[in-house]
Amino acid sequence: MVTPSPNSRPPLVQIRGMDFSYGRTRVLHDISLEIECHRVTALIGPSGCGKSTLLRCINRMNDRVVGARVTKGAVMVKGKNIHDADVDLTRLRRQVGMVFQKSNPFPKSLYENVAYGLRIHGEKRKDVLDEAVERALRHAVLWDELKDRLRANALTLSGGQQQRLCIARAIATRPEVLLLDEPCSALDPISTLKIEELMHQLSRNHTIIMVTHNMQQAARVSHHTAFLHLGRLVEFAPTEELFTHPREKLTESYLRGTFS
Amino acid sequence: MKPASSTENPFAGDQSGIHRREAAARRVLRTGSYLVVLITAAILLHIFVKGAPVVFQPEWPFVNTKFLTELPATLHVIEDKQGHHIETDVSGADVIKKQLGGNFASEKTISHSGGGILGPIVGTALLVIVSVSVALILGVSCAIYLSEYAKKGKFLETVRLAILNLAGVPSVVFGLFGLGAFVLTAPKFVDVPAERSVLAIPLGFTTLSFEGWDTCVLSGGFTLAFVILPVIITASEQCLQAVPQGFRETSMALGATRWQTIRYSVLPFATPGILTSSILGISRAAGETAPIMFTAALAFKDKLPWQKDLLPLPADASIFAHWEQSVSRFLGIFTESVQALPYHIYTLAAKIPQNEYAERAQYGSVFVFLVLVASLAAVSVWLRIHLRKKYQW
Repeated sequence: MVTPSPNSRPPLVQIRGMDFSYGRTRVLHDISLEIECHRVTALIGPSGCGKSTLLRCINRMNDRVVGARVTKGAVMVKGKNIHDADVDLTRLRRQVGMVFQKSNPFPKSLYENVAYGLRIHGEKRKDVLDEAVERALRHAVLWDELKDRLRANALTLSGGQQQRLCIARAIATRPEVLLLDEPCSALDPISTLKIEELMHQLSRNHTIIMVTHNMQQAARVSHHTAFLHLGRLVEFAPTEELFTHPREKLTESYLRGTFS
Repeated sequence: MKPASSTENPFAGDQSGIHRREAAARRVLRTGSYLVVLITAAILLHIFVKGAPVVFQPEWPFVNTKFLTELPATLHVIEDKQGHHIETDVSGADVIKKQLGGNFASEKTISHSGGGILGPIVGTALLVIVSVSVALILGVSCAIYLSEYAKKGKFLETVRLAILNLAGVPSVVFGLFGLGAFVLTAPKFVDVPAERSVLAIPLGFTTLSFEGWDTCVLSGGFTLAFVILPVIITASEQCLQAVPQGFRETSMALGATRWQTIRYSVLPFATPGILTSSILGISRAAGETAPIMFTAALAFKDKLPWQKDLLPLPADASIFAHWEQSVSRFLGIFTESVQALPYHIYTLAAKIPQNEYAERAQYGSVFVFLVLVASLAAVSVWLRIHLRKKYQW
């Protein structure tokens, strides 16, 4: 377990009393969360509790879903309400990167995969791209394994490498917040371990929010854990505290596995 | 270990009609499938047996080059008193008649059946180029909009219904529409509007006159484009939908706009499929007769579209004048009416008296047509296999 160290920086992501609905069905109720800078925060809870939806609220990926909207409250990133009219979605998503459950590299070369974000933001200088690709791959601990095959198709990588490549792709644009949606659910234990180590390292420079259905994983890598149940935030506390002395009965029974 | 003979077989089938019906159903269905194969084979064999001898020949170069490189012409068949038949063209007929002198018995002329079919081949190629370009631009735009932008709802339903209906319109209706829309009323820039012009908008240096494009490659190409539009839209939309949603999500999550996402992480992976299906559109466009009957095709034309009598340039003409003339010659190709293979076959089969010579020309044309369409289909299959290897996910 990671012991939270004193952190004086202001919260980077704040969710204030947020309600969220798909059409008429409200799926998140009055969520309030403050996520600290350069910390790993885990969202846990049974399937369908709304943890992925909550994660996708932070970079407004839910905008793609017809009828999905925040009906009350606000999501603040770096002190700015991201639903304000003057928020440019492309800028927001550049600073709030995301990695999905299913690793989905583009069927292009490794290099092009990592450079994608920079290219769409108009970066054309080769030296800048080269440097950014190397930096991202180094941060994702892939550089040494793959530096000789940057032109190979990304689909030739193993599942674990593909997922780390997706992380490299997401951090290439230097986002401050990194959202991970069950990044290890399709991976074997060794790849999972590598990603967990990676998250630990990345938390030095990034604020990480991850959804996981694996409680041990939350306990291993996160500083803070939020437990959601049926669209409500039941408990949000430093990970060690939540796992050893849960304040809520519901959290305790979930952790003990008496319901799921 | 042999089971005791006294135990009954627990899986014995009952002897009711259920098994007989099962066997009968299978026989009927299998016969149906075999029949389909048989019919296809019969068609191909028929065309091959009748058409191949026209196109191929036993001596070098083994292909009847005359048939493939000459324009259609009237065939003259001269019979001498010994009953020999000599085939020739107009100019050859007089020479031979003179040579035969008193030995001359009779002369038959069969229109369209002499020469070759270069004119129809070129015309069909031009029509296909125009129609596929127009249909691809319109169809792919429409497919992208439907698949990537349009919100599910009334509007999308309406558009889909429109596409379905478009696919169901009989091709002769397209022909008549093309006649009304492109041949008679489409807008064009002219100095002096024609009398039949529906509406003329003076623009100062020129006039935009809605007087139609006449029967020409453009009119026919646009009409054919509408015929194949539903095929292209439907196929393109399927290809776009086949690109994993994850690519779109990832791209958007990296801060791409919707258009960037389409441009860089959807279209590149859908293009192989779109191209493959558009080749099938080509075969369709090449084969249609009704839409081009009133809009582009001529039964007979003794010139290729670029063989036009332009005023000869003066000897001291500038490079620019030469350049301008080549451009106008090139553009002129699309404002010419042409012969087309399907229409040529129709003419040979239905518009002239039937005899062995006409039949030979028919089957020769049909054979060439079939080979062209089959090779397009082959290219599409090859493309699909090749590109699928390259773009897998």
